[in-house]
Amino acid sequence: MAAKQVVFRVQRYRPDKRPRPYYQDYRIRYTDDMVVLDGLNVIKDAVDPTLTFRWSCRMGICGSCGANINGKPRLTCGTFIKDVVGPQVIVDPMPNFPILKDLVVDFDDFLDKLEETRPYLVRSKPKPLSDGEYRQTPAEVEAYRQYSMCINCMLCYAACPVYGASGHFLGPAALALAYRYIRDSRDRGGEERLARLSTKSGIWECTFVGECSVVCPKAVDPAGAIQNLKVLASMRTMRKLLMPKAVSR
Amino acid sequence: MAGASKAWSPGRDVVRAEALSLQAKSEARLEPIVWGLFSLGGFITAFLLPVVILFLYLAVPLGVWPADRVGYEAMAALMADLLVQLFFLLLIAGSLFHGMHRLRHLLLDAGLESADAWLSFVLYGAAVIGSLVAFYYTILIHMPLPFP
Amino acid sequence: MPPRPYPWKRRRGWWLRNPHYLLFQAREVGGILTAIVGLILLYQVIQLQAGPDAYSAFLTIAFSPPMLGLMTVLLAFVLVHAVTWFMLLGKAQPIQLTAKPMSWRKVFAINLILWALVSIGVLYLIFGGP
Repeated sequence: MAAKQVVFRVQRYRPDKRPRPYYQDYRIRYTDDMVVLDGLNVIKDAVDPTLTFRWSCRMGICGSCGANINGKPRLTCGTFIKDVVGPQVIVDPMPNFPILKDLVVDFDDFLDKLEETRPYLVRSKPKPLSDGEYRQTPAEVEAYRQYSMCINCMLCYAACPVYGASGHFLGPAALALAYRYIRDSRDRGGEERLARLSTKSGIWECTFVGECSVVCPKAVDPAGAIQNLKVLASMRTMRKLLMPKAVSR
Repeated sequence: MAGASKAWSPGRDVVRAEALSLQAKSEARLEPIVWGLFSLGGFITAFLLPVVILFLYLAVPLGVWPADRVGYEAMAALMADLLVQLFFLLLIAGSLFHGMHRLRHLLLDAGLESADAWLSFVLYGAAVIGSLVAFYYTILIHMPLPFP
Repeated sequence: MPPRPYPWKRRRGWWLRNPHYLLFQAREVGGILTAIVGLILLYQVIQLQAGPDAYSAFLTIAFSPPMLGLMTVLLAFVLVHAVTWFMLLGKAQPIQLTAKPMSWRKVFAINLILWALVSIGVLYLIFGGP
């Protein structure tokens, strides 16, 4: 394949050298089969070893390599250079997160929010091992399968303007994950989960911009999950009003 | 230790998120109700408002209808019908609750989060008052009641 | 001592940089403007009660060229609200009526047809025909 040239304009942040972020241009050769991550690795290996970025599986399953490519949150391993040559390729860290160094962001807030939704099966009493495994029909698996595909890449948080503006919005992935457990037939914590999500910093802060579902590389559709949660939470509120004793708090 | 990463590592203690204001983390009572009203208003305005704007406000100036179609006699006769009264009440109340909810979220997003309690009171209060006024002028005014 | 993380700040005009965000803002403004139309409707109903002279004065203003311009703009925004509303309805199907969730395009098409039917119904049942 004929080799072409591209300029990668990458945002750097080196607090030991400069107090504010700045752009650095790198001219490299690329081929049609290279993704943006390959370009970054060429830069790191052959041009500038100080360039810092996260990556691991390079095949869209680990969720490490999220970045803004020409202004859109994308996985660098899932974006072909030939598709985004403009003629530049501008690479920024994911928006809405504090920057630690170069393209590496601090996502402690995201991890806190994931934890808050109790992302594990909740049962009043776990089945003893002698009783065997929890069984599910294919239909029961299908009910939550889509929402279990999340790879925690945080592109949805990068795309969500509400998360960007708010200090405490739980965010698309955490809410989609909570919905995944509500839809799981093995989970018994549905009502309690719903009560914890139906808060001002939970589902009600979402204004259904929908960009989270647009950027999701795994078609999880967190926006749809959140809207479904709103309907479920509204129904829960109706039940609380009409039959207060029957609904758990 | 300040600044310690919360990413997983062996032996890491479970970390709790910083305490947010109690209001942001307790189950919301107002939100599901206003969202339900906003949704109802959304359906009402989406299905009914375009045709109403077209025929009530644009048909006459554009020459599609003669002016007397929406003149005093025609409208008064129209509004004598209970169905028409309910129609306009639903339209006014629905659009008010829908619009106020969107306005509140627009303002919250623009940075007025700390004023939310005050914002909710003023905006939803305006929707309630507008709906009550609409109820009076559409339904009550046509009913034989002792008060004017 | 680890170096300071650089805080992220949302830029003004963030919604101008992405057509999806722009459509979102237009949709929100459309929703807000439905309340304006509601208030105009309310005012019209009140003026109807005030008598023929007050009502005629209202109509004179309502059909003046500036108001015609305003109404056209309002209609445009209300249409954005309506069309995006129908497009979004298919995104939330918490209670499954069909074997697999319907695609949003199908729900959109069905609602467009319903909208046409309802509009014709309003024209005949409320306004008494074309």
